[in-house]
Amino acid sequence: MTKLLLRDHFDTARHSLKRTRMRTFLTTIGIAIGVACVTVILSLATGVTSVINKQVDDMGGTVAVVRPGVESSSDSLDRLLNPTITQRFSTSTLSSEDVKAIKEQHPNLHVAPVMTLMGVMSTPQATVDSGSVMATTPEFIKTTDLPIESGQFIDDDTTGKVAVLGQQLAIDLFGTNNPIGQTFTFRGQAITVVGILKRLNAPVNYNSVDFDKTAIIRYDLGGDLSKNHAQIQQINISAASDETLQKALPSVEKKLAELHGERDYQVVAGEDISRPASQFFQAVGATMAAIAAVSLVVGGIGIMNIMLVGVAERTREIGIRKSVGASNLMIVVQFLTESLLISLAGGLVGYVLGVVLAFLIGTFIYFAPIYTWEVALIALGISLLVGILFGLYPALRAARKDPIESLRQYR
Amino acid sequence: MAARKTPVIQLQDLVKKYGLGDAAHKALDGVNLRVDQGEFIAIMGPSGCGKTTLLNMLGLLDSADEGTYRLDGKEVERLSSARRATIRAEQIGIVFQNFNLIERMNVVENVALPLTYHGISRLKRLERASEVLKSFHLTEREYYMPWQLSGGQMQRVAIARALVNKPSLILADEPTGNLDSRSSHVIMEELAELHKRGNTIIMVTHNPNLTSYASRVINMLDGKIASDKKIRVVSESKPEKITLRSKKTSKKDDEKAETTTKKPASLAEKRTRKKGGKS
Repeated sequence: MTKLLLRDHFDTARHSLKRTRMRTFLTTIGIAIGVACVTVILSLATGVTSVINKQVDDMGGTVAVVRPGVESSSDSLDRLLNPTITQRFSTSTLSSEDVKAIKEQHPNLHVAPVMTLMGVMSTPQATVDSGSVMATTPEFIKTTDLPIESGQFIDDDTTGKVAVLGQQLAIDLFGTNNPIGQTFTFRGQAITVVGILKRLNAPVNYNSVDFDKTAIIRYDLGGDLSKNHAQIQQINISAASDETLQKALPSVEKKLAELHGERDYQVVAGEDISRPASQFFQAVGATMAAIAAVSLVVGGIGIMNIMLVGVAERTREIGIRKSVGASNLMIVVQFLTESLLISLAGGLVGYVLGVVLAFLIGTFIYFAPIYTWEVALIALGISLLVGILFGLYPALRAARKDPIESLRQYR
Repeated sequence: MAARKTPVIQLQDLVKKYGLGDAAHKALDGVNLRVDQGEFIAIMGPSGCGKTTLLNMLGLLDSADEGTYRLDGKEVERLSSARRATIRAEQIGIVFQNFNLIERMNVVENVALPLTYHGISRLKRLERASEVLKSFHLTEREYYMPWQLSGGQMQRVAIARALVNKPSLILADEPTGNLDSRSSHVIMEELAELHKRGNTIIMVTHNPNLTSYASRVINMLDGKIASDKKIRVVSESKPEKITLRSKKTSKKDDEKAETTTKKPASLAEKRTRKKGGKS
C-alpha cells in the first residue's frame, strides 16, 4: 500500500485534464510563456558568451589581457548589478611605460596597447560619429585575429597619418569598401586609408571594439591626437604557445607591481578575458530572467487557481475515493500529478517555443543562440518546481477534506 | 467470497459529539455493540438518532471522541490515517444511499476503483470488476456511464464496488433510500445473498419492512441503542435462509415471491424486470 500508484494517478490526471481541455490549455499557455522566455534568454546568453570565448579560443589560449582597475567585486550579484560601464569613463591606470616594460622584459611576447579615441570622422561625402578610433601598435594583429580584406595592416613602415578601416566604416565614410589611398578627417587631421579589414560581424569581443566600425591608427598618432592624454584601455599580450604565456605571466604581474606600486590593474587570461562583456550580457539576461520569473509566477498562480477549482468540483469524488480506501497521501499525489502534468506540458511547449523563438531572434543578430542540455534541464526543472510549488496547496486541501463532509455534497 | 479475516466489531462506550459549548450534542452517547462474523444487522431509528454517525464510525470515515472501537481486536482509534485508509481498502465495503458513483467513470471503472488502492494493475482490476459485475448481471452495462443507469442498477453497481475488494464487512447506509419498492427488493435480495455467503453486513434503514432480511435488528434512539434483538440465530443452513426470505415475501407483492423463493432462477427474471420496470 505504500506504492504511489503513479501510473494510475497519471491516467486519472490525463482523463480529468481531458475533460477540462479548454482551461487546461489556457493554464498550460501561462507556463509555456514563462518557460519560453527563460529558454530564449538562456540560450541567447549562452550564445553571446560563447562568441567571446570562441575568439579567445581561436587564439589558442595564448592571449592574456592587462586591464586597468581591479576586479570590482567577487560578489556575483554585485557584478550583475554593476556591469562594466564605469571602466569606460574612468581614468585608466595603464600607461605606455607598462607596455614598454613588458616588451623589454619578454621580447618573445607580442604586446599591444589598445587605446580608443572618441570623435567624429568625416569625408567630403559623409560624417560618421558612431565609429571609434583605436590606436595600437603593429603587434596588435598578432594578439587578435584580424583578417585583412585589402591593403595592409599598420606596420613599422606605415608611419604617419594612416589608418586601417573596418568594412562598415569604410562604406559609411566613402560609400565603397575599397577606399585605399583616400583620406578622411579626424580631430582636424587628414588620415589616409591603407587597409580594409574583412567584415567580422563581431561587435562583442575581448577588445571591446567593433572592428567593423573602427579605424585603427598607429599608437604614436593616437598619442599625438589626444595630446598625450589618451587612456590605454587594455594591453594585449600574446605568445607563441600557451606554455610560454603561462610561464611569462607571473613575471609580467611582478613587473607591473613594481611599476605601479599597488594593484590597480589586473592580468587575465583564458575565459576570464570575456568576463566583462559576458558580465554585461548576464546583467541583461538577469533582468529579462526576472521578467520571465514574474510570468512564471503568474502562470503558477494560474495552475493553483485551476487546481483549486478542480478540487472544489471533485469534492465528492475525493470523498468517494477516500471511502473506498484512498489515503491522504494518495489524494495528494493524485492532484499533484495533475498539476505537474499541466506544468510539464507547459514546460515542454515553452521549451520548444523558446528554441524556435531564439533561433528566429538569432537570424537577426550577429550571434546564434546555443542550446545546451543545461538550458533544457533548467526549463524542465523550472516547470517541475512551478508544478509542485503551486500544486501542493490545492492537493493538500483536497487531501484534508473530510470524507463525510465531501460525500454530503450531492454533486 | 469468504472473508479473509474475521472482523469482530466491538464498541465500548462510544461517544461522538458535534458542535461546541451550548450547541454541543452527542450524536452517539455511549454505544456498546458487539458484532460477530456473518451477522446481518439492520439499524433502525428516527432521523438524527445517530445511525449514520455510527455507520461512519464503523467504516472508519469518522472517529469517536470517547470510547473504544475494536475491529478484529485491534483498537482503530490509535491507527494513523494511512492505516485506516488501508483497512477501508482491504476490509470494508461501503454502500451509500445516493450510490456515490464517480460520474465521469464508466461502470466497470467505478467498480474497479477500490482495487486501485490495493496497487493492482489496471488490467487485473478491470478483470476483477468485470467478474463481480457478472454476478450482478450487469455485464451488458459495463461500459455505460452512471447517468445512463436506473437507480436500482446504480445501486447494484455500488454494491459491486463495495464487494470487489472482497471485504469482510459491508456497511450500507440506507441502500434503498432512493429507490422504489421494486428496486429496493432487488437490492435487498442481493444483500441477503451476500449474507448467505458469509459476509457481515450492517445496514442502516428507515424502512421496517426491510428488517425482515436481517438476522438482528438494532433500534437506536438519541444516540443510544434502545433495543437489540436477534431475529434468528445466525446459521449457514440453507432452509432457514429460505424461510427468512419467504417470510418477508408474504408481506410484499407476489411478483417478488417467485424470484426470491427460487433463487437460482432469479437472474433471468431480474433482468427482465429491470428492462421493463426502472426509469
